Amino acid sequence: MLHLLSYLLSRGLATNKLIPEVLADGVTGLPKVTRNKCVEDCLACVHACPTDAITLKTVSPIVDRGACIGCNKCVALCPTGTLANDSATATYAYNREDLLVEAEQIKLGSGTRGGIFDGSMAVRVVSTGCSACDLEVAAANNPIFDMDRFGMQVVASPRFADALLITGPVPRAMHQPLLSCYEAMADPRIVVACGTCAVSGGVHRNGYAGANGVSPILPVDVFIPGCPPHPWQIILGLLAARRLTGRRRVTAGEGKANRSKALTGGEGI
Amino acid sequence: MKLEVLPLKLEERTTVVKEALDAGDRLGLITSIDGGQLLTLLLSPQMHTVTCFQTPIEDPVYHSITSLVPQAHWFERTTMDMFGLLPQGHPRLKRTHLHEPYAFEGAPLCNDVRDVDAHAYQFFDVEGEGIYEIPVGPIHAGIIEPGHFRFSCYGEIILNLEIRLGYIHRGVEKRLTEVPCHQARFVAEAAASDMPVANALAHVTAMESLLDFVLPGSCQFLRTAALEIERIAMHLSDLGGLAGDIGFLAISSSMARLRGLALRMGELLTGNRLMRGYICIGGVSMHSSSESRRELIKVAEQLKQQLEPVIDLYLANQVAIDRMEGIGKISCSLAREFGLVGVAARSSGISYDCRRYWSHALFPGEDFEISVEQTGDVFARAKVRIREIKSSLQLLMKLLQEPHAGPDWVPLPEELPRNSSAVGIVESHRGELIHLIITDHQGKIQRYCIKDPSVNNWTALAIAVRNNLVADFPLCNKSFSLSYSGHDL
Ligand code: SF4
Ligand code: SF4
Repeated sequence: MLHLLSYLLSRGLATNKLIPEVLADGVTGLPKVTRNKCVEDCLACVHACPTDAITLKTVSPIVDRGACIGCNKCVALCPTGTLANDSATATYAYNREDLLVEAEQIKLGSGTRGGIFDGSMAVRVVSTGCSACDLEVAAANNPIFDMDRFGMQVVASPRFADALLITGPVPRAMHQPLLSCYEAMADPRIVVACGTCAVSGGVHRNGYAGANGVSPILPVDVFIPGCPPHPWQIILGLLAARRLTGRRRVTAGEGKANRSKALTGGEGI
Repeated sequence: MKLEVLPLKLEERTTVVKEALDAGDRLGLITSIDGGQLLTLLLSPQMHTVTCFQTPIEDPVYHSITSLVPQAHWFERTTMDMFGLLPQGHPRLKRTHLHEPYAFEGAPLCNDVRDVDAHAYQFFDVEGEGIYEIPVGPIHAGIIEPGHFRFSCYGEIILNLEIRLGYIHRGVEKRLTEVPCHQARFVAEAAASDMPVANALAHVTAMESLLDFVLPGSCQFLRTAALEIERIAMHLSDLGGLAGDIGFLAISSSMARLRGLALRMGELLTGNRLMRGYICIGGVSMHSSSESRRELIKVAEQLKQQLEPVIDLYLANQVAIDRMEGIGKISCSLAREFGLVGVAARSSGISYDCRRYWSHALFPGEDFEISVEQTGDVFARAKVRIREIKSSLQLLMKLLQEPHAGPDWVPLPEELPRNSSAVGIVESHRGELIHLIITDHQGKIQRYCIKDPSVNNWTALAIAVRNNLVADFPLCNKSFSLSYSGHDL
């Protein structure tokens, strides 16, 4: 026991004090669009993208980060530097459309990072995917990233959760279990779609298994793109969700309306 | 490895398979291409050969081989789900993948409409005074993938565990036949993205064999490094999880820190913590500078140093050992009968490691120590993991010291040969992973089949927990480290 304690003390603090604005050097993030003009008829990125996340608008592309799996192929192929790597840690968005990025336009939810007395948030995690996102959500909990210090805890029941964090594309057999979980939560409840699959279905989109992300089934409040998102990106997304908990006071009627929207919302249930 | 598909008559199938297994072969997988035939893949580690038998089936009904070859049981059930082929005489026939919401659509990988609805899911009932059931899942308490466990218990003791999977069936195999083949690797990785390197490696190994191409050693070296880093990181995470499940939090968070170092190695090599998108056809997709290579060696040394004290503290704790010893036992004969793979097999006395037999990355050319334990309990599985982390680290450091001059990537033709088939077999951190690719007369991928190591090992969990306490279930579960998504696809 004493050995253990002395070992732990000798190792010091593992936790990173501040949330960095950008990921470490050499780490690939999501693509962004610069002001450089494309070469005429290039389309290299459009053809290369494995998830059809890029469309071309006259002289420059639009990247749907919500469909992007961060493979970096488009950035590597782009001859003009129109597409570049964006290693920002704040990648979340409150609206799905805001994940569509055009030249130098990244519309992120605004707001402060929050102080120590900003309250806490209990998060229920439901996994419906390939488990890379789960690994990163678990990592956000580890001593290095430690989201607990921001008052964010992963809880084992939807009954006392403020937020529902979903990973994975929600294939058909998970539609009903996910709805039941949401149903079991008390209002106000916040839904966070974590990872490209949860945002749009990612590589599984439009298949026979109906794995098209969370949106067809539940109303999503915060989107965190990435395949998988970096733990910092997850923590910042959750902090963004926490800002909603304070603002959201649900009136009696709204709670009911939400519920019936959820129950009739999804297609093919 | 390129495959030749040999015809095999339905009447002879049972005998051929049974004899091969008795002679020491492994059953790689059983599947179909489009529902008109059965494919049986037999692996012979001693001879380093893989045989693929094709048995034409007209009637969608055939004789099950499960009662003679128990390890066929899961494959036959899955083949029913996906192709509507009914194995007659299967002792416990029920679906593995498709749940009720799929009910009216027949079999997704078969061209004809076949109705397998008669085989709706039914749980195995255990009856008797004082026997009760505990249902768990599909959504679990922690941060894990979904699946349903139904325990039949007597007091605190588990009499039977039934595992129902398929909740995250995303249609990966079908998608792999739809996407252009240069993009297929991203889908292959997403089969189970906690082992993206192993999945990508199995994918490219099969694709490159189809193209009859042998890569230069410099590419294979980088792939080997990535594979071993993934093994180290995932074994550390599993050991940490084990410690967490017995409430030994000091060790579980120390393991999380160590895993942080392993992920840093991945980041230095590939620009991504989980090394996603790194391995591609023709080599690897990212060039790592010599500077980051040097940094990588430094981090590997750090990890080696910091690992020792944590392992010592873990194994010096008698309470921790008492919780693991004798729990969740699998005997060697059962492990053989059910064809277990990976750490689960090696902890039960079977020294099968794909890195010794099948060509992928630099293997089987590289030398490393295979760790084998005989007791088959949770503790054995923990010890095997610990030794494998050490031997992988050693192998990695040795590789990093050697010069490996040459290209990272070489261009390969994009067109696949017609009517061919190839297989990629990789030792992932979970064990034997198989990707089988079959092309049609136009050179398009007609069938892409993935056999995750968990397909073999899920059954082991169900057997291991029998007569153990309910409270020891999480521990047993973690010790097998099974993938839901790799199974569900
Ligand atoms: S980085 Fe994203 S947008 Fe670019 S090719 Fe890859 S998936 Fe498509
Ligand atoms: S977004 Fe990527 S990492 Fe996350 S579940 Fe989907 S495939 Fe997996």
